[in-house]
Amino acid sequence: MIPCAYFMNIFKVARSIWIGMGITLKYFLNHKKTLCTIQYPREKDLIPARHRGIHYLETEKCVLCWKCSDICPVDCIYIEGVRGADGPLQGGYRGQKATLSKFTVDYTVCIFCGLCEEPCPPKCIWLGPEFDYHSTDRTMMEKNLLSDEVYTESDEVFVEWARGENERLQEEKKKQKEAEKAAKAAEKAAAVAVAEETPAEAAEETTEEASAEAAEENPEGEGDAAE
Amino acid sequence: MNLFAFTTIFAQAGKGLGEFAGDYSSKWDAGTYDGGLVFAGIIKWLVTTWGVPEWVPLSSILNGVLEASVFPEIGALLITIGLVFGFVNIFAIGAVWSERKVSAHMQCRLGPMEVGPHGILQTVADGLKLLAKEDIIPRLADKPLFALAPAIVFAGVLMRFVPLPFGDQLIASDLDLGLFFIAAVGAVEVLGVIMAGWSSNNKWSLFGTIRTATQMVSYEIPIGLAFITVIICSGSFSLMEIVNQQGGSLNASDGYVYGGWIWHWNLFRNPFMLVLSITYFIASLAECKRSPFDLPEAESELVSGFHTEYTGMRFALFFLAEYAAMYLVAAVAVVIFLGGWWSGIYPLDALGLGPEATTLTKTLGLLIKVGVFLSKAFALVFVQMWVRWTLPRIRLDQMMYVCWKVLLPISLVCLIGSCLWELASGGASVFGFGIVVE
Repeated sequence: MIPCAYFMNIFKVARSIWIGMGITLKYFLNHKKTLCTIQYPREKDLIPARHRGIHYLETEKCVLCWKCSDICPVDCIYIEGVRGADGPLQGGYRGQKATLSKFTVDYTVCIFCGLCEEPCPPKCIWLGPEFDYHSTDRTMMEKNLLSDEVYTESDEVFVEWARGENERLQEEKKKQKEAEKAAKAAEKAAAVAVAEETPAEAAEETTEEASAEAAEENPEGEGDAAE
Repeated sequence: MNLFAFTTIFAQAGKGLGEFAGDYSSKWDAGTYDGGLVFAGIIKWLVTTWGVPEWVPLSSILNGVLEASVFPEIGALLITIGLVFGFVNIFAIGAVWSERKVSAHMQCRLGPMEVGPHGILQTVADGLKLLAKEDIIPRLADKPLFALAPAIVFAGVLMRFVPLPFGDQLIASDLDLGLFFIAAVGAVEVLGVIMAGWSSNNKWSLFGTIRTATQMVSYEIPIGLAFITVIICSGSFSLMEIVNQQGGSLNASDGYVYGGWIWHWNLFRNPFMLVLSITYFIASLAECKRSPFDLPEAESELVSGFHTEYTGMRFALFFLAEYAAMYLVAAVAVVIFLGGWWSGIYPLDALGLGPEATTLTKTLGLLIKVGVFLSKAFALVFVQMWVRWTLPRIRLDQMMYVCWKVLLPISLVCLIGSCLWELASGGASVFGFGIVVE
């Protein structure tokens, strides 16, 4: 008697191999159509709309409120700047003016939680679609959001310059205001002097008040002064 | 079988190597096919026909050296070894790249794309990397055996190239026991693998070795039966002779084989040969440890099998041996079943043969025959890759079942069937054609 199961087994194996080889050959011959991969650094795939990637900052909107750096759970956002001076990088929101000299995110620390987006009053910081941030050096992992580049030594030079420039402008503004107030006070004093008989004492008092006001208008290092 | 073969083989090999440098040029000029013409014969013929060009520095001295009688014996030997070794290296470089490409395209990927156009130089870069790698020998390894094993594996494969033709008369040494030599020297590779696995002092290596030994020794039998059937049908062990018999038409008046048609190939000699070619191909996959018989190197179970502990150039030698064995089994299949260098188209085959052939037609015919042979072998290598990236690895018991319960009985039936067919038909093929004597 012929062992049917034996020959059926061989037949089934041969048939399944035939089918399998047909499938792979079909894929091999149509590999240009069935291609699933991309040449990554040169080609990029679509990123989902809500993907949380590298930060972007709309500098002109920023009001320098420090909310993003305050809420950041890992404290990876570093901000420097002043409000109220017409500095080299000017932002503004509802009439307020902010001058940024440094706005960097340290990606060795950042966890891409997206919390910095939420409290931002002008919604000017957001996580973009890019995910491929890489470097050969730890110090290169800090991104300068003002220039959308890696934070480097030349940025440090710029920050130093901008800091000095801001301070200088602040000082100039203060002096200008003082001078204006002094002039106004002098005018007032003159007017008062015309009206009253003791003008010199009144002029002294008003200049003191003006300098105190100017000092209040320089809120460097304070978070929620913009409110 | 193999131990006995060895003593015979070395006598044969000595005779062949002595002979091969002898009177090749006269044989080339006469166009006869009854001798071991070597690569060096072609080179000498090129040199004597055209010589070293005048613009080459020291051309007169070079020509003198080439013409000198001392040169052929030693120089031809070195050139032959160099050519075979170079071919194996270049083939391995190309085959590794194309294997990666084939696998990638079957899996909807691109494969290597960076180094050179379409990544064609990827393997060269990888080889350079392997050369620069540290050579690590485990502390508890058996150092002499560990160091020697890759060389023996590679030598075992390279030795099998000796009686293997690359085209019409392009053969290192046409041994009278060519097929026997190939089957016998195959055992050297197993020896090297056992040495590698045992000396590594590693459990994965040892398991890989045991599997390799089991597999390679088992699958030698279906391969041997396929060889025996071909030898019975063609009446010769010599690979040159087997191919020439598939050339079809033998001119009785001048004794030349002028090539024939596709039905003169051994594949169509009888229906049993068709089946036997399939069993040979399956067994040859197991013989060179290719998937689905890659149990010795099963990555998911044994890390890398017998070469787990090897690094750098020693690993590269194992790799080279594997790819060389791929080409070798494919080329042997071409020789014994697929008509060797005969293209199966009579006018193409007859080009450059016979006494009327000029230097130009001889060269052209030789190039066509080499091209035909290599493309047939490469097509079979592609099928090996195609199988690898289609079929999953089989279990050890399934592997043994396939060998002992499927391939062996089928091969035996085919052997007996072929003998009966030969007796009954007098050498006529499936299509009813025998060798034509004009």
